[in-house]
Amino acid sequence: MIFNFQRFSTHDGPGIRTVIFYKGCPLHCDWCSNPESQAFGPSLMYDRKLCKSFGDCLKQESNYLSAGENGILIDWASVTKPEKLKDICASRALTVSGEEKSIGEILVEIEKDRSFFEQGDGGVTFSGGEPLSQGPELESLLEELYKLKIDVAIETSLYVSWENIERCLGRNINFLVDLKHTDSDKFERFTGGNAALVLSNIKKLAASRENIIIRVPVIPEFNHTFQEIKEIVDFTVSLKAVREIHFLPFHKLGSAKYEMLGMDYKYSGIRNLDVAEMAEYVVYAESVGLIAKIGG
Amino acid sequence: MLKSAEVSERISGLREKVLSTKPNVCTERAMFYTQAYAENEEKPIIIKRAIALEKTLLGMTIFIDEGELIVGNQSSSHRAAPIFPEYAVDWLPEEMDSLDKRSGDAFFITDEHKKELVEIAAWWKGKVLYDKGRALMSQELRDLQDSAIIKATGNLTSGDAHIAVDFYKILDVGLNGYLDEISLFHKQVKRYEQDGVRKDHFYTSLSISIKAFQAFIRRFQELAMQQAEASTNPERKNELLAISNNCQVIAEKAPENFYQALQLVYFVQLILQIESNGHSVSLGRMDQYLYPFYKKDIQTGNLTDEFASELLESTWIKLLSVNKIRPWSHTRFSAGGPLYQNVTIGGQTTEGLDAVNELSFLILHSVGKMKLTQPNLSVRFHKNISETFINECIRVIEKGFGMPAFNNDEIVIPELIKLGVEKDDAYNYSAIGCIEIAVPGKWGYRCTGMSFLNLMRVMLASMYDGLDKYSGKIFYKGIGNFADFNSFDELYKAWQHQIKFYAQKTVEIDTAVDTAIEEYVPDILCSAFVDSCISRGKTIKEGGSKYDFVSGLQVGIANLGNSLAAIKKLVFEEKKITKHELLQAIESDFEGKEGEKIRYMLLNFAPKYGNDDDYVDLLLRDAYLDFIVELEKYHTTRYNRGPIGCRYYAGTSSISANVPNGSVVPATPDGRKAFTPVAEGSSPSSGSDVLGPTAVFKSVSKLPTEKIMGGVLLNQKLTPATIKTDEDKEKLVSILRTFFTDLKGWHVQYNIVSRETLLAAKKDPEKYRDLIVRVAGYCAFFTNLSPDTQDDIIARTEQTL
Repeated sequence: MIFNFQRFSTHDGPGIRTVIFYKGCPLHCDWCSNPESQAFGPSLMYDRKLCKSFGDCLKQESNYLSAGENGILIDWASVTKPEKLKDICASRALTVSGEEKSIGEILVEIEKDRSFFEQGDGGVTFSGGEPLSQGPELESLLEELYKLKIDVAIETSLYVSWENIERCLGRNINFLVDLKHTDSDKFERFTGGNAALVLSNIKKLAASRENIIIRVPVIPEFNHTFQEIKEIVDFTVSLKAVREIHFLPFHKLGSAKYEMLGMDYKYSGIRNLDVAEMAEYVVYAESVGLIAKIGG
Repeated sequence: MLKSAEVSERISGLREKVLSTKPNVCTERAMFYTQAYAENEEKPIIIKRAIALEKTLLGMTIFIDEGELIVGNQSSSHRAAPIFPEYAVDWLPEEMDSLDKRSGDAFFITDEHKKELVEIAAWWKGKVLYDKGRALMSQELRDLQDSAIIKATGNLTSGDAHIAVDFYKILDVGLNGYLDEISLFHKQVKRYEQDGVRKDHFYTSLSISIKAFQAFIRRFQELAMQQAEASTNPERKNELLAISNNCQVIAEKAPENFYQALQLVYFVQLILQIESNGHSVSLGRMDQYLYPFYKKDIQTGNLTDEFASELLESTWIKLLSVNKIRPWSHTRFSAGGPLYQNVTIGGQTTEGLDAVNELSFLILHSVGKMKLTQPNLSVRFHKNISETFINECIRVIEKGFGMPAFNNDEIVIPELIKLGVEKDDAYNYSAIGCIEIAVPGKWGYRCTGMSFLNLMRVMLASMYDGLDKYSGKIFYKGIGNFADFNSFDELYKAWQHQIKFYAQKTVEIDTAVDTAIEEYVPDILCSAFVDSCISRGKTIKEGGSKYDFVSGLQVGIANLGNSLAAIKKLVFEEKKITKHELLQAIESDFEGKEGEKIRYMLLNFAPKYGNDDDYVDLLLRDAYLDFIVELEKYHTTRYNRGPIGCRYYAGTSSISANVPNGSVVPATPDGRKAFTPVAEGSSPSSGSDVLGPTAVFKSVSKLPTEKIMGGVLLNQKLTPATIKTDEDKEKLVSILRTFFTDLKGWHVQYNIVSRETLLAAKKDPEKYRDLIVRVAGYCAFFTNLSPDTQDDIIARTEQTL
């Protein structure tokens, strides 16, 4: 299931890229900037600012939607089958995120910007959610793209079974691997995942000579200390095959989406990080021989 | 004030002076022209106009300001607008008292000048171009104009222009060279032939005008000398002596160096704008024709880049001091009062090599430093253009004043050749005014800028059996009412039926206007500088130019496609909206809750041009082609009189005309509210392109660009963050290359989104859905962000100029 095709993406791999955002993620990081990507099925989103109270949604669904003072009320816990509310709301206050797309449909979307890819090493980036948690159709799609000679990058946490990774290999893919933390306790507390699986997958991936760039989301209260970042950098260096690391400063651009999804945002009180605060991490990463960048 | 590190103190001071001057109205030209016309009533019009120009150039106030390096003034003070009573003057006494209260382009006027203007206007009653042109039109054409479906008022209230003259030749032969050529042809005139009398007068008027031009330059020679003698500052004295010497040389001969060449170019540019008040008088490929002078001076050590840049900057300030006053009705079509004096750089040589040279960089940087509205800087893009140069262009764009714009050799040159333009000429094209193109010195007037056609009024008329609801008139009986149509096809046929009629009417209006201009306000100097007027013995309007292709402007492009697509999809295919509901909604301007809902359905459930969606893009292409194919059947008034072409093509370079054009259009089926602006040029409707710049490029490139040689105008918004780093800039260059090289786009211009725009977007998200925020691994539109996040981005966006 896909929730967005984003064309002219400039920070998710080389050149001009179309990023395909898959829905569904085995992790649920507290700072996640695309919270609509976490659930594997379609998600209902409600932007109160846009609501004109036309009432069409209420006619369609009265079990968990009801009229409120300023727009509608949603009983988020009871939301089921939100897809029937798709294209009901004329003002697009109530939307459904996530749609099943066939490989053919996806390829059509990719083709649209192909002429732009060719000017400068651009291509397709699969993001999410977790693209490697998708079913086997991702492999078929990767095979098609490989045949079409379209450059592919995958943004992944690698928090998936090795089999899911293995079946993608051998197609000259750039893996943009999200390495959030090396400490298993902290990793689990903030993301709900298991660091050991991630680290082991990275090692295996590195050993299989794939192109890897490590991307570190720098998050306050989670890993924004020199010691923690140093451990991530040191681990990266130990992989030998990996030469590049990116530091992605924490931002709150996604905060409004939590409200639209009826979710709590634990980072609402935390400030954005500045590029300047990444400086010492870059200096350290370069000192141990890595190419380091801020942002993608 | 500009930072002193960027420009010299002199330039900074001169710039500030012109910018801080409140424009007023200068009556000198009007007085001289009125006198000359009154004293020479019996003479042929062309002689009368030569004498009027002579009288003005010899009698008008001239001045050289402290510190000026390039001299020449259009009127008695900086930015004062001269009056051109022979075109239209009635409006002046009428609007006189409100000129200083205009919301844009205000002018100050003294009581004494007001009195003079009333007298002048009285003398010209019934004699002006506007009245004579209107009198040539049938009642139907006048009604069409009054209804504002077709607008051509500006074409009768001022001269034509939209032209660039032959600066290569001017710099090569000097003004005496022209006198020699004129005299040679004058001697050959056969006065016993029918055409001989007219030609005789034409050559006489040419020689009066060129000599008057020379005398005007000599006045500056003398003034500079007097000021030099009086100056106690030795440095300034030397500068004034140099100015005097420059004028002495170029009054007669070809310039000897870069400084003189630039001064002569400016004088020509100035005189053309004293002879006539048409706008978009353009300077052509300045980095090419000035380059030999620049190169020689640099090699011999007579010029430094610093001084060359200071001279260029002086010229830009001088261009800004030229001004034009338009009636309010026309001012609204050209917001900001620009004169669109275009300078074109880059492109290719006639051998197909990259033409970028050191002077291209100097011009680019000097314009970038000045951040003025003049000149309008265009860069000719081609696939082998210097990478460094394009990168520098992006750096200038980043400054946020909308320049340079790009035109594309990869489409323009081959299409010009297909139209019959010789290869060397095609490779030498330049931008004119805003984005339109012509071959400098060989092309007639108005490669764009003929009448404006309001497409959405035509589209609405096709829904009401030909009734134009706005004026209540039926200009052309239709083939039925939308209420009775059973398929989209019927509506589409109604559109085809109406648009053919209006296409023909635009040409009828243009023909009347051209006939009047040819007869009553011929330009003489402008004709002298355009090939082959002298050898043919004809003004440009009589068929003197080598090429003649013109275009009008079609306004509401995106609205047309979006309206057709919305009806096709929502009414006929998905049946989400009934015909009755749609009619009721647009007739009531989407009143009430139901109306509002219909409006949102039209906005959100139908495909929109600008998102690379063939459904709407191809529908728009076809609907526009219906107009274009009809238009191609017609010829200009110069047909069979000399020039190659004499044809019409389409054009969308309508600048700010989308605002007044929208102000006379009721609500439309694309969800646009009544009387709000329609879409600008060929750009998507405001806020409707939500997939970013590559999708917009794709949509625009599906238009029949090769038939829209009057220009395919595309403005794109960029948030400053999009081009912050070198890598970001490279990516922008990369999509430009694809747009121009692979997709054969025509033009693009960038507006850097300002803090003000972001504030507006926060307040009114619906209109700014196209603002996309891009961060690694994250996607959102600006309008979807939480208010505090929006504030944070706003705080990080610099205030614009």
